[in-house]
Amino acid sequence: MMNKTSLIALALLVFMGFYPLFVDSAWLAVGTTFLVFSVVAFSQDIILGRAGVFHMGHAMFFGMGAYTTAILNVHFGWPILATWAPSVLIPMAFAFVLAGPIIHLRGDYLLVATIGFNIIFIQVLENDVFGLTGGPNGIFGIDIVRLFGIEFASQTYMYYMAFILLGIALFIMRNLDKSKFGRAMFYINKDEIAAQSMGISIRYYKLYAFIVGAGIAGAAGSMFSVQYSAVSPEAFNVTQSIMFFTIVLVGGSASLPGVLIGTFIMFVLPEVFREFETARYLVFGLAMILTMILRPRGIWPVKFGDIPSYLKKGVK
Amino acid sequence: MDIFLQQIVNGLTIGSLYALVALGYTMVYGVMRLINFAHGDLVALSAFVGLTVYTQIFGEGITSLIAVVAVFMFTAVIVAVVGVLLERLAYRPLRTAPRLSAVVSALGAGLVIQNAVMLIWGPNMKIFPSEIFPSTIWAIGGIVVTFTQVMILGLSSALMVALYFFINRTKMGTAIRAVAIDQDAAKLMGINVNRIIMVIFIIGSALGAVAGLFIGAYYRGITFDMGWMYGLNAFVAAIMGGIGNIPGAMLGGLLLGLFNAMITGYISTQWAETFTFVLLIVILVFRPTGILGEKVAEKV
Amino acid sequence: MSEYILEIKHVSKYFHGLVAINDLSMKVKKGQIYGIIGPNGAGKTTLFNCITGIYTPEEGQILWKGKEIKGTTPFKIAELGILRTFQTIRLFAEMSVAENIMSGRHIKSKQKWYNGIIHTPAYYKDEKENWEKVGELMAFFNLSEYATTPAGDLSYGIQRRIEMARALAAEPELLILDEPAAGLNENETLELTQTIRKIQAMGVTVMMIEHDMEMVMSLTEYITVINFGAKISAGLPAFVQDDPVVVEAYIGSDEEDEHE
Repeated sequence: MMNKTSLIALALLVFMGFYPLFVDSAWLAVGTTFLVFSVVAFSQDIILGRAGVFHMGHAMFFGMGAYTTAILNVHFGWPILATWAPSVLIPMAFAFVLAGPIIHLRGDYLLVATIGFNIIFIQVLENDVFGLTGGPNGIFGIDIVRLFGIEFASQTYMYYMAFILLGIALFIMRNLDKSKFGRAMFYINKDEIAAQSMGISIRYYKLYAFIVGAGIAGAAGSMFSVQYSAVSPEAFNVTQSIMFFTIVLVGGSASLPGVLIGTFIMFVLPEVFREFETARYLVFGLAMILTMILRPRGIWPVKFGDIPSYLKKGVK
Repeated sequence: MDIFLQQIVNGLTIGSLYALVALGYTMVYGVMRLINFAHGDLVALSAFVGLTVYTQIFGEGITSLIAVVAVFMFTAVIVAVVGVLLERLAYRPLRTAPRLSAVVSALGAGLVIQNAVMLIWGPNMKIFPSEIFPSTIWAIGGIVVTFTQVMILGLSSALMVALYFFINRTKMGTAIRAVAIDQDAAKLMGINVNRIIMVIFIIGSALGAVAGLFIGAYYRGITFDMGWMYGLNAFVAAIMGGIGNIPGAMLGGLLLGLFNAMITGYISTQWAETFTFVLLIVILVFRPTGILGEKVAEKV
Repeated sequence: MSEYILEIKHVSKYFHGLVAINDLSMKVKKGQIYGIIGPNGAGKTTLFNCITGIYTPEEGQILWKGKEIKGTTPFKIAELGILRTFQTIRLFAEMSVAENIMSGRHIKSKQKWYNGIIHTPAYYKDEKENWEKVGELMAFFNLSEYATTPAGDLSYGIQRRIEMARALAAEPELLILDEPAAGLNENETLELTQTIRKIQAMGVTVMMIEHDMEMVMSLTEYITVINFGAKISAGLPAFVQDDPVVVEAYIGSDEEDEHE
C-alpha cells in the first residue's frame, strides 16, 4: 500500500518524465534548468538543511563545476564526458580546502565567510585569471555530449540528462539520510553538545556535508554549462547563492518535497510571471516574509521518524 | 607620500560611512542575533528619499544651512519609520522562530525595499544634487580635502561620540545593554524589550540614513541596488570590530575604509573585494570574535 | 593496571578567575555506583563537564584506565567509552525517540565513509544490527510505544529515560548521570533506581550527581561531597550521611533545587 507522499512523488515523476512532449523549446529549457537547479538546491540542503551549516556561497561550487567543464573542453579540447569527473572532484577539493579553516566558526560568521568566498570566486572569474576564465563574458562554444557516435545535442536530450542527474542526486540524498552520516548531520544540527557527547565529531561531519554538497553542485554545474553551451560569472554570483539558500528554507530544510517546491517557487514562478518584470521581485520579497511568518519551518517541513517498520510494531 | 596621505583621507571618509552603517548592523545583532540584511537597502533608500526631499520640497539650487539640516532630519525620520515598520512586520513575528527563518525574512525585506526604490525612482542611476554641500576644496600640501569629506568625518565622529555616551551614560542606554546581555532577565527587571528594540531600529536606521545621504553627496551617482555592497562591507566591518560591540563597529569601519583605500590606491581596484574578504577570513581564523571582541548574549 | 577505572587528581577549573573546582581528587572503581552530592552551585556539573571534555581544567589530571584524558575533545571521550546524560535534558527534540537512541549507536556503527553515498551489503548488515539494538533498548526502557514520537513531545520522566537509553546505546564502560531523578515522581524514581541497578549488573560503572538523598543513599557504594568546588567529605553512604561537615554544608545553604 502506498502512502500519499509516494503517490504524489510517482505522479510528479510521470509528469516530469513526459513534460518534454507537451512544451515548446523555451519551456523545455526552463524545465531543464529547473531540474539542474533542484540538484543544486538539494546539494545546498545537505550543507544547510542537514548539517545546519550557515552556507550562503553555494553558487560558487555550482560555478566551479561549470567552469571546469568549460575550461577543459574549450581550452584543452577534452570531450564533455571526460570533464565530468574533474567537475565533481575539483569543487570537492575546494570545499575541503576552503571550509576547513572556518568550519568551526559560529553560524553567522560562516554566513559572511561563505559569501566572501563566493565574491572572491566571482572576482577570479571576472579578472580572467591565467587567461582561462574568459573574464566578464565567460566562455562560449562548449561542446555537446557525444557517446558511441551519438550526438546528444537537442534540448530534449539535455532535459533527460538533467532528469537522470536529478535521479542520481535523489538516490544519494536518500542513501545519505539512511546512513550514519546523514543522521550524524541531523544530530549536530539539532544539538552540537549532545551530538559530541555521543561521540560525533562536529568537524568531520560538517566537512563531509560540505564536500558531498560541493561535488553534487559541481555535477549540476557541468550539466548547466553543456545545456547553455556557455558559462559566465553572473550565473554563479552571490545573488544565485542567496536564491539556493532561500529555496531550502522556504521549501523546508532537509525535506525532499520541500526543496522541490522551493525550487519551483523561487525559479519557475518568476519565469511564469516574466511579463510583470518590474513588480515581480517586490511581490517575491513580500512572499518570502509571509512564508517565513506563516510557516517558519518551510512550506513542506521535514518529517522525522522514518525508522525500520519492525520498530514501529509497539507504537500505539 | 602624497598618495599615501590622500588615501588616508579617502579611507577615513569611506571608513566613516562604513562605521555609520555598521553601527546599525551591530546594534540589531547584539540584541536580536539577527543579520539585518535589509539594512543596506535602507541606506540606499535614504539617498533617494534625500534626493526627493531636496529637489521637491526645497527646490534645486537652494543651499542654505537650514535646507540641508532639514533634508537630513526629514530623511532620518522617514527612514527610521521604515526601519521600525520593518522590525514590526518582518522580524517581530519571527522572534521565536528558527534563526534562519528570520534571515530569509530579512532577505525578503531587502528585496522589497530595493524593488520599491526601483519602482518609485526608476532603474537608472540618479545624480545626487551637488549643491547640498559647498564645493569648497582645500589643498593642504599635496593632498586635496573636500568640504563633503570634512562634513562626513566631522558629523560621523560627532554622531558616534554621541551614541557612545548615549549607550554608556543614559538610562535608556543601560537598558539597551541589559537587553543585549539577557532579554529574559531584562524583561523581569521591568524593561520593555519591544520598546528597546524599537529604539535600536530608530537609531540604526537614522544613522544609516545619514550614511545614505553622505554616500549620495560623496559619490553623486546613486542606484537602487547599491545598498547590498555598502551593507555587506559595513557588516564585514562590524564583524572585524567584534559583532555587537559598538566601539568595535566604529573601529572596524574605519579600519576597513583605510584598508580598502590602500588596496585600491596601491595594489588593484579589480581585486579590492577579494582583499577585503581575505582580511575578514584571516581575522576570523585568528581572532574569531573580532578585534575588540563580540558582545552577544550566548546561551550554553 | 590499577583497580580504578577513573582517577581525578587535584583538578582545578576556573571561570574568569573564579574557582569552580578546587583541587578535587577522587577515584572510581570499575563496576561501582559512585555518587557525587553537594549543595547547588558546588561545581558538580562542572566536574562532569571536565570529565567529558566540554571543559578543560587548568590544573590536575584526569586518568581513564591510567591514561590522561584531560583536554580530549568530547567526541573522543565518548569513543573511549564515557557517556553521559544532562541535567537539563538535551535530546534531539524534533527527532523520534528511536532516532534519538540511534545516535548512541554512532560510535558502534561500522559504516564506511562511502556508505553515506552508496550502500553496500556490509552497510545493510550494520544498519540492521544497530536498529535492532535500538529496539532492545526501547524495550528495556519501556519506550517501544513512543518509537516514532518526537522526543520533545514527551513528558519529563520519559525524556530522562530516552537520554539514558541513548547513552547506554553506545555500550559505555562509564555512564555519567547528571541528576537523573530531577523532576521525576516517586514511582518513576523507584523505577529509575531499579534501572540503574540493572545497568550496573550489565557491568557498567555509574557515576551520578543526585539531590534525592534517599535514592543516593540506597544506590551508591561510595560518595564524594563537594561544596564550593572542593571535596569536604568522602566515604561510604552511611559515613557521609552522619558527617557533621556535610550536615553543616547542607544546613548552611539552600538544599532544594533551584538551578546550578
